[in-house]
Amino acid sequence: MRADVLFEDMTEEEKYEHFMDRIDAGEKIEADDWMPEDYRESLIRLIAMHGISEIMGALPEKEWVPKAPTLHRKLAIMAKVQDEMGHGQLLLRVAEDLMAPLGKNRENIMQDLFSGRLKFHNVFHMKAPTWGDAGIIAWLVDGAAIISQTMMLTTSYGPYGRALKRICAEEVFHAQHGESIILAMAEGNEEQRQMLQDSLNRWWTALLMFFGPKSKENTGSSHQDKNIRYKLRTKTNEELRQEFLTKYVPRIWALGLTIPDETLHFDEEEKLWKYRDPDWNEFKQIVTGNGPQSKERLELRRDSYENTRWVREALSSQKKAAI
Amino acid sequence: MSDMSGSDFYQEFEVFSKKKDTSPMQYQFSLLAPNHELALVMAKENFFRREPVADIWVVKRSDIRKLTQTEREGLKKLDKDYRETKGYGYLKKKWRQYEQEQFTEADIMGGGKS
Repeated sequence: MRADVLFEDMTEEEKYEHFMDRIDAGEKIEADDWMPEDYRESLIRLIAMHGISEIMGALPEKEWVPKAPTLHRKLAIMAKVQDEMGHGQLLLRVAEDLMAPLGKNRENIMQDLFSGRLKFHNVFHMKAPTWGDAGIIAWLVDGAAIISQTMMLTTSYGPYGRALKRICAEEVFHAQHGESIILAMAEGNEEQRQMLQDSLNRWWTALLMFFGPKSKENTGSSHQDKNIRYKLRTKTNEELRQEFLTKYVPRIWALGLTIPDETLHFDEEEKLWKYRDPDWNEFKQIVTGNGPQSKERLELRRDSYENTRWVREALSSQKKAAI
Repeated sequence: MSDMSGSDFYQEFEVFSKKKDTSPMQYQFSLLAPNHELALVMAKENFFRREPVADIWVVKRSDIRKLTQTEREGLKKLDKDYRETKGYGYLKKKWRQYEQEQFTEADIMGGGKS
């Protein structure tokens, strides 16, 4: 940075250079700081998708609140559902502050979700027909989310990093809640073990897809290179997927469960997990709203939004009357 | 557009809290609420579902005057050695010339004893 020039007197080019210097020096960018539009757009895309995924992600587990097998499990899964909604609140707040200069707010995020413009994670388009699914979601879907979220704790955007810090603190509870469910089932009777195995079979491909394609050749677009340059993230999709496999495959096997991919193995020479690549066309279909449960979940969200409209209107008119 | 599109419904609140009576107030996060009362309810639900809390403050963001980016970057340029103990590092050597050890911070403050 030119020490003799005040920030507001810099040219756009100098501001950009100064911005990149700050990022390279490990400084955190704040909401009101100057930032390239490209950086803002990358953040909005990433964080709005993350926030909406938290909210949509609460829905498959919410289905199990009335059907949880014991009162303790009911309390724990209710707490988790509430946490996920809380995470959504935090992240939407971060996204909104970035969108404000563009004249947009939370309403636009919700409308983008309803119109299909805003996507959410592939895993939350899937059905959760048994209690085994509730266990696999908390253990492995949250496990996958923890890997990608902790990677972004050092993100260059300060407010996102602070939100993730709060979120990750609660994920530890979620992971143990999941471990508790799957261990109980794994140690249960034959029917319970089979239920757990069926859930794993149902979720395995979705879990591999969770981290996204290896490169843009798989789906036609990828923002990971740009996001790494801006230090929004530090690892590639494939590096995260490998971490996930290293962390969880030995445990899944230790429980005597079978992973539905007979090609899965660790290549000692390459020090990499080899697995059957998911069908990335199917992934594309799922995240564009054509997954097994996409329509039902979106309708539920839309209904909930419409059914609570009167509350927002009542509060709004009360405020106007007070003025 | 719908009821929330107007900019006057939700407002941004910044949330501060302290863990114990003796703790300083600490910034937590921001939230959206239509008024102070709901902001407090939301703060409790959003940020204190588990952790202990002794007090919560909510402040309308529009009432906060923050430093601008230029003002913040100006802070980095200040050199205030003369206000800090590190500006007096040479004293240790000086006292040694008089066969005296330099007082530590604890010695100066009475070592916490009354």
